[in-house]
Amino acid sequence: MAKTSELLIGKWDTLHENGVFDVKRQYITRHEPKATMPSRLMRYNDGAEEIQRLIKKCETDNEGFRAYGSRWSMSNIAHQADNMHQNNLMYLDLEIEEGDMHPDSEYEHENIFFFECGSTIKQISQKLNEYGKSLKTTGASNGQTIAGCISTGVHGSAFDTGAVQDYVVGLNIITGPNASDNVYLERHTKPGLNDAFAHGINARVIRNDELFNAALVGLGSFGFIHGVALEAEDLFLLDRYVRRIDKNLALSLSKTLDFTNSEFKIDSEVDENGRPSRPYHYKVFINPYVDENQYVIEAMYKKKYTLAYPDPFTKIEKSIYKDLIYLLIKFSEKFPKSIPWFIKSLQKSILPEITKDEEKITATLYETFFDAGYKGPAFACSMGVAIEDSERALNALVKMTKAHPIPGIFAMRYVNRTEATLGFTKFHKTCVIEIDGIQWEKSKKIPSLEEYSRFMIEAMQSENIPFTVHWGKSMDYAFPDLANHMYGNNVDRWTKCRSWLLSEKMAQIFSNDFIKTLGLEKYLNVPTDLIESLDRNGQPSNPIV
Amino acid sequence: MYAKLHKTIRLGVFLLFIIPLLQSCYTTRFVSTHGVPMPPETMQGQDWYRDKMYGEYTAVVKTSVLTDGMMINVPKDKCESGKLFSVEFKDTFGGNLLYLVTFGSRRKVKIKYVCMIPEM
Repeated sequence: MAKTSELLIGKWDTLHENGVFDVKRQYITRHEPKATMPSRLMRYNDGAEEIQRLIKKCETDNEGFRAYGSRWSMSNIAHQADNMHQNNLMYLDLEIEEGDMHPDSEYEHENIFFFECGSTIKQISQKLNEYGKSLKTTGASNGQTIAGCISTGVHGSAFDTGAVQDYVVGLNIITGPNASDNVYLERHTKPGLNDAFAHGINARVIRNDELFNAALVGLGSFGFIHGVALEAEDLFLLDRYVRRIDKNLALSLSKTLDFTNSEFKIDSEVDENGRPSRPYHYKVFINPYVDENQYVIEAMYKKKYTLAYPDPFTKIEKSIYKDLIYLLIKFSEKFPKSIPWFIKSLQKSILPEITKDEEKITATLYETFFDAGYKGPAFACSMGVAIEDSERALNALVKMTKAHPIPGIFAMRYVNRTEATLGFTKFHKTCVIEIDGIQWEKSKKIPSLEEYSRFMIEAMQSENIPFTVHWGKSMDYAFPDLANHMYGNNVDRWTKCRSWLLSEKMAQIFSNDFIKTLGLEKYLNVPTDLIESLDRNGQPSNPIV
Repeated sequence: MYAKLHKTIRLGVFLLFIIPLLQSCYTTRFVSTHGVPMPPETMQGQDWYRDKMYGEYTAVVKTSVLTDGMMINVPKDKCESGKLFSVEFKDTFGGNLLYLVTFGSRRKVKIKYVCMIPEM
């Protein structure tokens, strides 16, 4: 039997210390050991029963319940004041056989994998590498759990690929304490696994695009995501270059992502006609306190995997003297005019090193976006805009930041459109403008993080730039009507699907302050004729339950 | 009065320099590139170990002319997988001083380690 330890911790915090939050109870569930229950499927199903037991207890005690993984989110999205479930010891993977594929599936069987919620990007990548496969994209690191990534919309800068949730094929969600509250959810237009597989994990099947897309970035409020079926691809290499390029060229590329017809060219990255190749990844770094003619950019080009490439891990990392940075932060709280000076002074340590062609780093995706553990209390605010608005949005944010300096530096990354109803990479190509830095204390001369993030929203609104915000990053989520402003009708579509999938009681149990602040906890009366499961043509299907 | 003040300042300056030296000279950490560290139940501390469950081994080892090294087995109760993710060696001024004044017969060993998460 899976066992859950219960810790009466009282206080809870994120990895980057963005709290502290009050909490009554923290649960950690561990599977029955392999030695006494060798079948992974049995352990997986046993784990599901244990989660349902905990949900039942919350129902009886009239308390809330929320799962979290590695605590990477900097907002309070993972926090729940009653019961929090740490699921990073639930990291089974289930083998997908050819016979598990849906007859109408267009996915290649070799690319479909199934992972339990607490599997981290690192664990998943290692497993995929054993099969000569890779994730399509990740965030800038590998410590997040798969359920955490998709629930918040974690992304990289693979601008033709999308965010992590965009390669999810199916979701196994526990929506309550009863046997029928175990659901395997897929898109009806893109079925992946068959009903027999779902029944093997004791789940009833729902194939419905609308429900799937809503649950995909579910903000932790669509139930307990127990397992994720995802589509991988063949292992590939990335050639990474860091350059200083003309500011106007960097911003022009930001607005179009048209590399083939641009002046940005790396000699070794051209097509057969000598024209610039299209990178897999593009990122721009901006120090808001310096008017430079050049920006540092990072570009990565996708290559076929080969065994013969230099070890990318040979570098010896020396840590920066952290206390010095905190001393400077303390100083800047009193004298905010010093912030531009010390950001400039630390620029060499903050920005990636410029590489010459021969110094390019070749590595797999897993090796490129490697461990980035704790480096001190940090903050990050992140906004999504359409790439066409990227320069205007950046200028507005830089102007605001110069007026209200804080210890951080901007970067721009680019992501393909998501189909998730509340996915923040919603534009046809989203430019994600983020400011990362070290936490500071509000003083008379320097705004609080909440105030600064409110200024960010106001800067976008004053320029009439449509925007979204990264759910896992710091932001003024209490800003009036924020969710509706960003997503319009999609807010109703999302809450309707949530109301349909969860009972009213369970919707209450899986709510937290984060979604209440955004007004997303409301429960709607859903028409009884809503069709649960559809076939590929959108006609009602009758799965065998 | 002034002499006493000067003495206090001198002592203060001496302690300011000597205390950090006694704390640590440097830290070397050997880290796996393909392992996954065991996560902690609760997050404490403000260093690299914040999101890792770790163990520590500290001892003063007595050596002799016949000793050419030592081996420490990872304790099972603190390392479920029995596999190491990282090993950190801290070289302290105090440890070096002990080595010097005992002519090499006593050596302070300070190791911090993180184990890998068990395989499923």
